Amino acid sequence: MLKEKLKKALAPLDLAQVADGDYAKTGYHLEVAARPEQMPAVAKAMRAQGCFLESLTAVDLRESFTLVYHFSNFHELCRTVVHASLAKEAEAPTISQIYPGADWYEREVYDLFGIRFAGHPNLKRILLPEDADFHPLLKDFGAEAAND
Amino acid sequence: MIELDIEEKTYHLNLGPQHPSTHGVLRVLLEMQGEYITKAEPVIGYGHRGHEHMAENRNYHQFLPNMGRVDYLHALAYNQGYCMAVEKLLGITVPERAEYLRVILSEFNRIASHLLWVGAYLLDLGAFTPILYCFDDRENILDLLDRITGSRLTYCFYRFGGVTKDLDDEFIAGSRAFIKRLRGRFKDYDNLVTKNVIFINRARGVGFISKEQCLLYGLTGPMVRGSGIPYDIRKSEPYSAYPAFDFEIPIGDTGDVMDRYLVRLREMGQSLRIIEQALDKLPNGPIMAEKVPKRVKPAESEVYQAVETARGEFGIYIVSQGDVKPYRIKLRVPSFGNLSVLPELAVDTLVADLVAILGSMDVVIPEIDR
Repeated sequence: MLKEKLKKALAPLDLAQVADGDYAKTGYHLEVAARPEQMPAVAKAMRAQGCFLESLTAVDLRESFTLVYHFSNFHELCRTVVHASLAKEAEAPTISQIYPGADWYEREVYDLFGIRFAGHPNLKRILLPEDADFHPLLKDFGAEAAND
Repeated sequence: MIELDIEEKTYHLNLGPQHPSTHGVLRVLLEMQGEYITKAEPVIGYGHRGHEHMAENRNYHQFLPNMGRVDYLHALAYNQGYCMAVEKLLGITVPERAEYLRVILSEFNRIASHLLWVGAYLLDLGAFTPILYCFDDRENILDLLDRITGSRLTYCFYRFGGVTKDLDDEFIAGSRAFIKRLRGRFKDYDNLVTKNVIFINRARGVGFISKEQCLLYGLTGPMVRGSGIPYDIRKSEPYSAYPAFDFEIPIGDTGDVMDRYLVRLREMGQSLRIIEQALDKLPNGPIMAEKVPKRVKPAESEVYQAVETARGEFGIYIVSQGDVKPYRIKLRVPSFGNLSVLPELAVDTLVADLVAILGSMDVVIPEIDR
């Protein structure tokens, strides 16, 4: 079973959490917690098991960010979510050399949250205009306007 | 022989943002060496409306209409994905009849999307006639959907716990007539397009996508199925009433433009099969769950829900912090991942082939830009 294989592949990486997910409630078969600097190793392990990167995004928790990576598989259903807590102002390593598709997702996260990915080949805005000076999905964006 | 003093230079060419073949405001910055492309860089975001930001500023119900405006060609699938995600958060079970209705309407919407694609794609390749046939057929679907949902394009019909309105006899009769009609038309499409030698020469052997590329770029939908991977959320991760129906996942074998065309064409036939079975087996009962809270305020949690749209996997990721507004909504749209492979496919092709490749991806730009 793919889930067991993934658990085995992730075991040597010394991750904070590799646990079964509650699929009926969350849509996850496997829930993983990692540090951002472990992500290239996690991505490599996922790719070796034939999983593809489904989505990559972030959540602004005000005191810190959480990077959220979703992986899935074409042949056997096993959705894996990886949460990686990232301090504000910190950089995360890119995984675009492992999954070229992550290139655009990381650009999107940079564009909307201002999170920088170290080693990214082309980290520039993707959805917003090049000269925008804000990151709209930060929780303090637009707060002043809302208070007016 | 005359010796010409010609200097070879690379030059840049803009495809779009206003170009008929980009179907919306997409710009592809091309670096050319003679007639061949050496580098292609899609520039997106012209239609960015900030749907994800809007989600954080309104309650769960108020975000429903946004779901008709992300992918305007398969809006009902987006309706469905969002409703299912919220239902998961709240623990609501949708009545069987409502699930059947969702399947019927979403499948009609899928056919309408594919029909529009066939017509518009052939228009890109220089064939004018097919779009007239496609629009003629598509119009029938829009009339049927309009009758039930009240809109022709930006549907907002599903609700948390069910659907707004029940089907009537006229819709059912109209649907059966349409199924018969479209089945007869497939022969015309085959004669007009599939067997057309000009089309075959444009589509065969162009724009190969390997299985490896599908994995690396996270491609979904007809893009992976054209390359021979039978990945369809309706089968791979069954949802709604889909497990109750007998249907196949058409796949291609070489992964070129022609295979993606054939996959979409055959998918329409499969959608008709699903609709026919759903109409035959349509259960009686309510179309709304009994206990749906008027005030949607899910407990602190997160959820990921995937559905199969005409273009591939739409995934919606919702983070709730126990508020009436979602804390974060991420829309994982298929066209975004699908388009990201274009720079790799474009290298060493002609501009005319790039148009054929780009069109075969069936990208919807407002969906990418969100």
